[in-house]
Amino acid sequence: MRRRLIVIGWVIGLVAAACAPTASPSAAPSGGAASPPASTGPTGGGGGTLVVAIGADPGHLNPAITTSGGTHTASELLYNGLVGLDDGLKPVPELAESWDVEGDGALYRFHLRSGVTWHDGTPFTADDVKFTFEEVLLKLHSRTRASVGPNLAGIDVTDPLTVVFRFNQPYAPLLQQLDVTEAPIVAKHIYNGSDPAKNAANTKPVGTGPFAFVSYSPDSEIKLKRNEAYWAAGYPKLDEVVMRIIPETGSQIVALEKGEVDWVWGVPGPDEARLEADPNIELLRTDRNPGGSNCIMTVSFNLDRPILGDLRVRQAVAHAMDRRQFVDKILFGQGRVAEAPISSGIGFAHATGLAMPAYDATRAGSLLDEAGWKAAADGKRAAAGVKGVPDGTPLALEFLHFPSFARYGELLRSQLAEVGIELNLKPLDPPVFAETVFTNRAFDMNIISYCNGPDPEIGVRRMYDSAQIGAVPFSNAAGYRNPDVDALFAEAQRTIDQAKRGELYRQIQERVVADQPYAWVVETSSVRAYRLPCTGFIGYAQFAATASCAP
Amino acid sequence: MTRRYLARRLLQVPPAALVILVGAFLLIHLAPGDPILALAGESGDAAYYAEMRAKFGLDRSLIEQLAVFVGNVVRFDLGDSYVLGRPAALVIAERIPATLLLTGVALALASTVGIAIGLVAAARVHRRTDVAINLVTLALHATPSFWLAQLAILTLGLWAGILPVGGMTTARSSATGVAALLDVAHHLVLPVAVLAATEVAAIARLTRTGLLDELSQDYVRTARAKGLSERRVLVRHALRRALLPVVTVIGGRVGHLLGGTVLVEAVFGWPGVGRLLLSAVQARDTPIVLGVFLVIATTVIVANVVTDLVYARLDPRIRYA
Repeated sequence: MRRRLIVIGWVIGLVAAACAPTASPSAAPSGGAASPPASTGPTGGGGGTLVVAIGADPGHLNPAITTSGGTHTASELLYNGLVGLDDGLKPVPELAESWDVEGDGALYRFHLRSGVTWHDGTPFTADDVKFTFEEVLLKLHSRTRASVGPNLAGIDVTDPLTVVFRFNQPYAPLLQQLDVTEAPIVAKHIYNGSDPAKNAANTKPVGTGPFAFVSYSPDSEIKLKRNEAYWAAGYPKLDEVVMRIIPETGSQIVALEKGEVDWVWGVPGPDEARLEADPNIELLRTDRNPGGSNCIMTVSFNLDRPILGDLRVRQAVAHAMDRRQFVDKILFGQGRVAEAPISSGIGFAHATGLAMPAYDATRAGSLLDEAGWKAAADGKRAAAGVKGVPDGTPLALEFLHFPSFARYGELLRSQLAEVGIELNLKPLDPPVFAETVFTNRAFDMNIISYCNGPDPEIGVRRMYDSAQIGAVPFSNAAGYRNPDVDALFAEAQRTIDQAKRGELYRQIQERVVADQPYAWVVETSSVRAYRLPCTGFIGYAQFAATASCAP
Repeated sequence: MTRRYLARRLLQVPPAALVILVGAFLLIHLAPGDPILALAGESGDAAYYAEMRAKFGLDRSLIEQLAVFVGNVVRFDLGDSYVLGRPAALVIAERIPATLLLTGVALALASTVGIAIGLVAAARVHRRTDVAINLVTLALHATPSFWLAQLAILTLGLWAGILPVGGMTTARSSATGVAALLDVAHHLVLPVAVLAATEVAAIARLTRTGLLDELSQDYVRTARAKGLSERRVLVRHALRRALLPVVTVIGGRVGHLLGGTVLVEAVFGWPGVGRLLLSAVQARDTPIVLGVFLVIATTVIVANVVTDLVYARLDPRIRYA
């Protein structure tokens, strides 16, 4: 009997240990008041609990030390940027209430919102901004470090609510790089004197965002509660947000249909029509994601390979692609054919009316004939007088892709087979793919989802700038070198006038379309789904700041 | 005697685990794949990647990295996870209770139900019950777990709506005490059922075969001749001997069960070690992968020792020196 009791006790203990959250506010880091200040008034609240499905354990909840989509998805509600970006990517006030651009764009003066407090009650000041950039973002946030870092001359705090960014020369893209995804502001009083990558607050975060941290159970769930002292009057409405970690997309959709969760970040194409027909579920489309926005599925040609060094072969591949089929058969309509190298989501920089290669199998065939790739009776092509390639070499190319992009490879293989090009598919996990493509450069072609971000300086320049050829994952995969394009990117970076800057990007796009180092296939969009009565969402960043689940 | 044997077997655990770890270390490092993507993200500059490589010792030679790794493991330090940025040992330890609960309950269920079903099948050999049990267990044994899991989610979770489809607790619940434990038990049903299904089938089939063998032995005839009831003959005499190979198999299935958790935890969103291993392998998060290998290797070795001890208990003729 005693032994049985011990066993029962052990099982109960195990259950209790297994379901106990490992981080809770009782162990919150020191350095501030224990509780937030009293509510600013009868604003917000009463919106109930929102249950969100997220696909991966974030590991920690500090978006300033990583660009990981998993961490940003789980943590952006806790923080703010100096600015937010509206649907048209226009900067709107967030922690900064207003700003002045001086010295032809080499100096940005930000006037911070007064009365903002951290979740622990400590006032937010300009010192937090300077500290965040100098000690956290410019050291650990790879995108902000690589783009803002080399151009920044210094950050000055002129008074507790004014911070000045000085650049070596006019720097145009700054305002697009200050939202919660690119530059979340963290608390100096929490991180000062510590290694930001190892600070305990990374799993018990203290931010200024619409929701405050409650608990984090690794691989299970994250609980947030309403920030009653939030600076936006009347928001947030939700009382609580619970993020459930459900790795399988299929399981997420089932959980949504069953009512176990209220929000999923991505609806697979085949499930979209069914969910759309469900009267309890609403869909929301967006091109923006916490891990990257305005993404284009892009085929890279390895320009170092003799076969693909020939422009005619690259053009033939582009003409052989029926890109509409990618939208219909793979994306199930969740996207559109790419009409330019820069995403249509970045309106000022996206060029229209470019001479993008249209689907034309006959033209593809004649280009290959011209290049010396002659078709045999079975339709397959082999070299006959191609420079640097022995005669008789079959036109067979190796195509690398993530396992999740296998269907792109299969469709492309069937389309290229129509014009006599053999494509050998090689699925590789992301770490192997990155090493093979960018370190070893051992590929002919590949497909990458290049996310352009809110500004070409963030996610476009890396693809074409010759300085970005090398062992940096997801940089210039093609190995493209064009001094004119390099110079145009540099000029665009320091051109403050947006119309003039847009014109420079048009010139860049015309040149790269002519050189065809890549084939731009489709712009992908994401479909979010949420259960009624929850409503009032936006599709990105602080997606739930304005939402409510009250009936 | 048994105590000395136990001590000797337990002393074998650290060197065996170390050999497994070094082998796993070499396999992971010799396989293609650069963990820098997990460490540093994309769109950084070359200097940043170089800094991160140096910080995590990835710029050193393989031999140096191995020496540092072994030295750290001896001091119970598995290093920091590349993806999660926290000590790997802590990250793994946080998830062990969930996996122990899942596998412990599944193993207990599979063993008891498997033996019971095997017993019934042997008692009703070649009759309808036996044929039905044979068919069902064979089908279960042949069914891939991922398919069974999806089927269970769709039928019992979505259509019938009687069981939760994922997670370990109800998101909107603020239950505490017994209610919270019952909530976890409710969430445990589907993953345990799927994880145990294959094991139940294996154990039932083995029990049935073993029992049929024993039932043809002379001592069973003697027991029956003495007028013992059939139940007593089956349970007290034949089953005890038939269980010997079953116990060996149950011990051996611990490793198999732990492997099964990778899939079951991923499908049901169970926050355990298996799911952690899956994501760590995909991201080449070496400290986590090696740490989980260490935990699994140790568990399998200990399970084998326990099996030997149970074996001795069941068969008094067995002596360990």
